[in-house]
Formats: sequence, structure tokens, C-alpha cells
Amino acid sequence: MIEVKDLVRQFTSGDRTIKPVNGVSFTLERGAFASIVGKSGSGKSTLLSLLGALDKPTSGDVVVDGVSLAGLPDSKLTAYRRKDIGFVFQQFNLVPNLSALENVMLPMEFAGLGRAARKTRAQALLERVQLDPEKHLRKANRLSGGEQQRVAIARALGNEPKLILADEPTGNLDEQTGEHIVELLSSLSSESRTTVLVVTHDRGLAQKTQRRFRLQQGVLREEAPAGA
Amino acid sequence: MNVLARSVGNAFRNTIRTTAVVAVLAVAIGLALAMLVANQAVGDKVQELNASVGTVLTVNPAGGQGFEGGGEPLTAATAKTAAAVPHVQSVVSTKALRLRTASSTSSDTQGPGSGGPGGQGAAVTTSLQPAIDAGTLGNRNNSGSTGGTGNGGATQNRTFRLPITATGTGAEVDSTGKALNITSGAGLGDYTKASTKALVGATLATKNSLKPGSTFTIDGKSYTVAGIFDEGTEFGNNAVYLTLPQAQALAGTTGEVSSLIVTVDSMANVDSTRTALQSALGTDKADVTQGQRNLATAVSSLDSVKNISMVAFIASLATAGLVVLFIMVLLVRERRREIGVLKAIGAPNRTIGLQFVLEALVLVALGSVVGGVIASFASSGIASALVSSNTASAAGSVGRRGQGGGFGPGGGGGFLGGANQLLTSVNATVSPGVIALGIGAVFLVAIIGALVPALLTARIRPIEVLRGE
Repeated sequence: MIEVKDLVRQFTSGDRTIKPVNGVSFTLERGAFASIVGKSGSGKSTLLSLLGALDKPTSGDVVVDGVSLAGLPDSKLTAYRRKDIGFVFQQFNLVPNLSALENVMLPMEFAGLGRAARKTRAQALLERVQLDPEKHLRKANRLSGGEQQRVAIARALGNEPKLILADEPTGNLDEQTGEHIVELLSSLSSESRTTVLVVTHDRGLAQKTQRRFRLQQGVLREEAPAGA
Repeated sequence: MNVLARSVGNAFRNTIRTTAVVAVLAVAIGLALAMLVANQAVGDKVQELNASVGTVLTVNPAGGQGFEGGGEPLTAATAKTAAAVPHVQSVVSTKALRLRTASSTSSDTQGPGSGGPGGQGAAVTTSLQPAIDAGTLGNRNNSGSTGGTGNGGATQNRTFRLPITATGTGAEVDSTGKALNITSGAGLGDYTKASTKALVGATLATKNSLKPGSTFTIDGKSYTVAGIFDEGTEFGNNAVYLTLPQAQALAGTTGEVSSLIVTVDSMANVDSTRTALQSALGTDKADVTQGQRNLATAVSSLDSVKNISMVAFIASLATAGLVVLFIMVLLVRERRREIGVLKAIGAPNRTIGLQFVLEALVLVALGSVVGGVIASFASSGIASALVSSNTASAAGSVGRRGQGGGFGPGGGGGFLGGANQLLTSVNATVSPGVIALGIGAVFLVAIIGALVPALLTARIRPIEVLRGE
């Protein structure tokens, strides 16, 4: 379970103070598939980076399975990202000179998994995201956008994380490929009981999630479930 | 794929850039290694020269000129006084004798250099034939001393033979203080006791068909050849070495010595020790000379070459280090986003640092291989160029001093000309130890150059790197 308690992140720009995240609180149960929608610049990505320990909040706390992130040193936060979090970026962020397989193996290498084990697991994950086996050894920069996003999702699943944070996962994809990626994320939450939180401004994608939040001027409100 | 394989792959990510970086590194590393090799070679040469001639002083009786002259002989007490002077490392006493071939003794007693009043020479007979002919000069001198004393108008025609030098020595060294080069057989053992064993020069041994174990006579007494030595010159090898007490007994001057070979502890102390020694022994009793005085000037110029090559080595090493640092700063900046992604998926800072260090080491290893090849071809030439340019200027200054100081035209320069020949024979060989030392230094600089920018970037929060793009 992930609990967000009165989270604030503020930046100073010249003599102005900006608060893209201003007192955000919510709770997500394990296996939830949720989305955060909002306009560009509303603070969605900032909130996601705070949840994934890529950034530190100005105040407030994120508690994951009873462990507070606020008091953890950098080394523990790195371990948290390695074991408990899977990131899916809008720009995919694969290492371009590594193959699809090698990209998926990376987080497992950092977690200390043996070479043979991580290769077997990486192949299974690439098959799960339906990447053509003949493309497993292809360099990441030689794959299409949809293929790269599938590899990115497979990489995010490498260490069986508790939480997958996806920042505009369909933003750079065509509609059909985008729908497939959404189905993939949805099946992950239901089959593997992995919590999936998607940040998007695509209302179509948001409609497919179980819980929807709207971030406006740094304040988060949960929208009523569809049909309620 | 592990961190090493990933680093090797990253090193070749951009082939053109990698080639350019390796080429620049190879030149810098090659120059650094060449300078280190030159430094080592010059250092070895300086050490060799210092050890052989640079620190040796010779003490002769005041007024004595080799086998000629006058004055009072040196004694064991003189040697003891010399040994007590500060910075004196060792004192070796010698006693010189002239040996004349038994059959020629009667006719040669009036030959040149037969010894004036008070001379140190003591002529005794031997069964050995000299290895060197008297030549035109020797026979001319011979006829000069006896010419014009014809019997009834007939010119007396006598055969002159050069004497053989026998030296009694207190240690296994030659007159310049260098260890005797014994090419076959063994030394004389204890040089402080009388013995009928002898060391014979190579040409003298050949002339008389002697080898270790052969015998010959001096003053009617049989001597056994213990070993054959080679001093490198015809005259130097027309000689015999005996133990000091044996030579003193043959000369009938027990306790007297012809000269002392004094070795000073370091070249820096030679001048002061020479003055102190002269003062301790007395100017009316002994002359203290430094045979290779002007060689010291040339050796000091070699020292400056050594310093120049060390400075050049450090400068080249620093250049290689800066090249690595700039390249790694460039690479790290270029791959900031990748570092951010690696951090986001859980890479520890040490893994990121290690990845960039290994990548830099791959580039440096390639640069070192090419640089090593460059150094193996260039080091000898660089060493020779450095030595010849520096010793030429030293020779010029000493040569001018020699003329102005009234030592005779070209005296100093001529002497240093010989020294130059000795100095420019610096042999720069690429030894594995020196190369390993140089490459180790380059690798150390590369590790620091790669680690600093990588760790500085890795310490930043991932979001700052990702957002920065």
C-alpha cells in the first residue's frame, strides 16, 4: 500500500515561489490501477518523481508498505527505486547502444541477479510484452516507438516492483499501440497485483483506470468512478 | 552484459571520436614513456660515471711523477690518515714496479725512464715478454740516449723493449678505482697478504701463452697466473697485478706505497674532500689529483638532462591526464540523461563511477599500447638528442675555459671531447619495469580523471538530470 501525506514540493524562480505539488494526500491499495490527469505544467510529473524517489519533497511524506521515504538516505532511496519501483518514461529512456534484452537485464544486474537468471527472466518479460523474439537482440535505437515502450515496460518489471509509475506512457505512440500498452499495464495490475499509477493528459487512457485523480494548481482531487 | 562489457561497448560507441582520442592519448603517453625511459637511461649513466671516475681522487708523493721524480714515499700511515678524512669511502694503496725481460736487462738499463734519483720505480727481472713493441719512438729515444757513442765509427745497434708494469694493489681495483674486469680465472683472494699468485693482462697473456694456472718468474721466483684481466687498452693490458705486500717485498720497500686511490662517498663532496685530504696529508708530502676533473662538469650537464626529461615526463603525464579528464567531462555531460536513467532504475553511484572509470581505462589502454610502440622507437632518439644538445654546450664552455686558463690549446675541450663520446653513448632501452611504471602512472591519472566528473554527476538527484534535458 502507498500512502501520500500532505506532500509539498516548491521551487523558487527568481523572486517567485512555485508549488506544483501543494499538500497532496491520497492512498493506493496494492494492485490498484490509477491515473492522474491534468494540464501540461500542472505538476503531474513532479508528483510522480516524488512518489518514485527521483526527487525529495519540500515537506510531507510518502509511505510505502509502512516505510517512510522522507527519512531515508540517498543510498536507501536508490535501493527503493531498484526493488520497489518500476519507471516507464514518455521518452522511453532506453540505453541506445544496448540491445532490448540488455536494457531489460540492467535493473536485474543492479539488484545482483546472476547473468543466466537475468537473461532468462528478461526474455520472459519481453515475450510477455509481446516483443518479437527476433528483435530481442536488436539495439534499442533500432526499434520503433511502440517496441521501445514495450521494452521500457519490460525493464520496469525486471525486479518485480510493488509500484509502476508511468509518465505519459502513450504520449509518443499511435492510438493502436497506445491501447495495447494500456491493456498491458491493466493486466499487470490485475494479474500480478502490481500497483500502477499512470500520469496522462489522455482522457481515453484515464477512463480505463480504476481510480482517477485530477491535479490542478498543485492540488489533487479524486474524480468519481465512471457510472457513479 | 556486465559493467565491464558495457564500458568496453561504450568506449567504441563513436568510432571516429574513439580513434581521435586514442591518437591524442597515444602521443601524450608515448612522449611520457619516452621521457621516462630517457630519464632512466641518463640516470643509470650518471650513476655509472659517478661510481667509476667521478668520485675517485689519486694521492701521489709530492714531486713524484709516475716512475720518475723525487719527494718522500707514501706509507701505510699516510693511507690511514687519508681514510680518516670525512666523506672518504675507501682508500686503496698501490705499489708500482717495472719488470724487465731477463735477457734484455743488461742492455736496457740505460733505456728511457730508467728512474732518476728518488724515483719510485724499482726494476726487477721477469721471464715475461712485453706485449707491446717499442716502435719508432721507443727505439729513437733509445738511440738518442746512447747514439753517438759509436765504437770506431760503427753505430751500436741495440734492441729496446718496453717494460711491463707490475702493480701491487690492496684491493681488486685498477688505477681509476674501477673493479678489475677479470675475463678468465679468479682474483688474488686476500690482497693484504703476500702471495705468489698474479693477474695478467689479456695481451700480455696472449704474447706469453699464459692462461689461469700457468707459471712465470719475477726476480727468479715462480708465480702462478690466477686470472686474466682486460682493461680495454693495449698498454693497460701489458701489465701484471700482484698483492700489495708481495710487490713491496719485490721492490724491497716494505711499508712504502706508490699511490693511494681514494673514493669519495658522493660526487657533491669530491671538491671539499680533495681540499681536506690535501690539508690532512700536507702539500709538501703528497699531491691530491682528480684525474677526470672536467668529466664532472659534463656529468653535471647530464644531471640537467635527467631533470629536463623528468619535467617533460611529468608534463606529458599531466597532458595525458588532462586529455582523459576533458574527454570524460565531455562524455559524462553528453550522457547525463543516461546517468539519470541508470539512477532511476536503481544503479548505485559506485556502479556509475566504475562504468566511466573502466571506459576511460579502455581508452587509456589503447592509447598506452600505441604510445608504447611510439616510445620504443622514439626514446633512444629523444635521449640522444637531449644528451648531445646539453653536453655540446657544456663542452663549449669548458673548452673556452681550457684555452683561457692556459691549460694548452684545446686541452680542456679535447679532454671533454673524450668525455662527450662517453656521455653520448647513453643507451635508452625500453625496460618492462620502466614502461609498467609509466603506464601505471597514466592509469592512475585516468582513474582520477574519469571518477571525478562521473561521481559529481552521479551525486545529483536523478530528476535534475532527467529534467535538465
